[in-house]
Amino acid sequence: MKQEDLVIYEEQIEKIEGALKRLIKDAQAKCVLLVDKDGHLITRQGFTQSLDTTALAALLAGSFASTREIARLVGEPEFSVLFHQGKKDHIHITLVGERTILAVIFDDRTTIGMVRLYAKETSEDLERILSLAHREEAMAKPEGKTDRGSEFSTSLESRLDDIFSEQP
Amino acid sequence: MASINYAFKEISCKIVFYGPGLSGKTTNLQYVHLKIPAKSRGELISLATDQDRTLYFDFLPLDIGKIHGFSTKFQLYTVPGQVYYNATRKLVLRGVDGLVFVADSQKSKMDENVESLQNLADNLGEYGYSREKIPLVFQYNKRDLSLLNSVEELQQALNPKGYPHFESVATKGVGVFDTLKCISKLVLDQAKRKELFPDRKMEVVEADKISPERTPSPVATAGQATEAAILSPADAPTPTAQTTVVEEETVPVAEKRTTPREVAQENEPEVGLKVEEVPQKEGDPMVQPPRQESPTVISWSAGKSGKRAKGRGFFLWRLLNKLLNR
Repeated sequence: MKQEDLVIYEEQIEKIEGALKRLIKDAQAKCVLLVDKDGHLITRQGFTQSLDTTALAALLAGSFASTREIARLVGEPEFSVLFHQGKKDHIHITLVGERTILAVIFDDRTTIGMVRLYAKETSEDLERILSLAHREEAMAKPEGKTDRGSEFSTSLESRLDDIFSEQP
Repeated sequence: MASINYAFKEISCKIVFYGPGLSGKTTNLQYVHLKIPAKSRGELISLATDQDRTLYFDFLPLDIGKIHGFSTKFQLYTVPGQVYYNATRKLVLRGVDGLVFVADSQKSKMDENVESLQNLADNLGEYGYSREKIPLVFQYNKRDLSLLNSVEELQQALNPKGYPHFESVATKGVGVFDTLKCISKLVLDQAKRKELFPDRKMEVVEADKISPERTPSPVATAGQATEAAILSPADAPTPTAQTTVVEEETVPVAEKRTTPREVAQENEPEVGLKVEEVPQKEGDPMVQPPRQESPTVISWSAGKSGKRAKGRGFFLWRLLNKLLNR
């Protein structure tokens, strides 16, 4: 396949979360989500308790994918920024590198200009953190890769049996 | 592709239900949503038209819980089945980890099944995905209706390679969880092989290469028995799954290697190179014409195949130069 699985390591996530926290503070946003283009949520920061972030991540990725197709049809390689304006809350979506999307949810305490400025900066930071060099550096660490296969299979079988057995 | 987060110890995989219009893809998700406890699933999101036809996708997140320390999540998607929506259908396939092909068993729908399967192969090809590397399960739906194709006919037309298959009546839930359990296991086995245990040597071989005594027992027979108890015993589907993943299997390589570099690559088990001998079968709609040229397919990546062709060209060019210089 053309693309590998997206793998995030602990060292990366600390840096990513640091960058997202700075973005929330600087841009005075409500919350931010980092999502991969396939619709998986990577991480989130801010007031996300009341949000269904899993669904939001899938829909953001879907929205971005359809916009990219629209771009292609009108002869653009990609629309790298999307903005949805609501009555109270607004969403600003930026492309980060090749594989991830940064969504900033904000209200009228701040302005689109501020969000755009800091989102662009953060997007560049995140691109660097997610880059291959960092990934390889993190991969050199053995942590998290010590599990063995046979135990995984047994554990998997029993979990799937539990969850997918016919419910009453 | 699966998202694996070592920081949060979380795996997230994408399973797509594909198939022709009105074959029951959304119904599968609705049944899963209905039966799985709320703590293990999110809300079912349907981006549908006013007539309840899928416009973009249906989405259902499932949280399987911890499997060997990793919080495991599945994202179930359906595609819009209508031919007209191919643009959006293709987008849903992006990053797919596992596929369920929901076929309509009615005789009148056979052409639509074949067309949809071909469309799946085309769309995967456009992303540069290798069909052989994505786990696939067939579900023959609507087995309670009359004027049906037999399972043998469906197998012959859609699944000549013998991927796992299940009979189902999605409206009543028959076969829905069996299908889901089978594809979940295949997807997680693959994710585990690729990322969690990269030093583990495993090979994927064709179903017809597995000797009968090594073929694992059909998946999810327990679930089927429970369903049979809910419905009438006569409705119980026959377990038919054939698991195609075998550990530590060695596969003969028929193709002659041309450069030492390629041979070196072959000898490195860690990099996950898989050599699959694919017997040519006529009428298999999943195999695209260019892949049928050679009986042996080296599954690597587009880039490596390119280098291979380039290597041969370079070798011939040097040979020609030598002859001309003489």
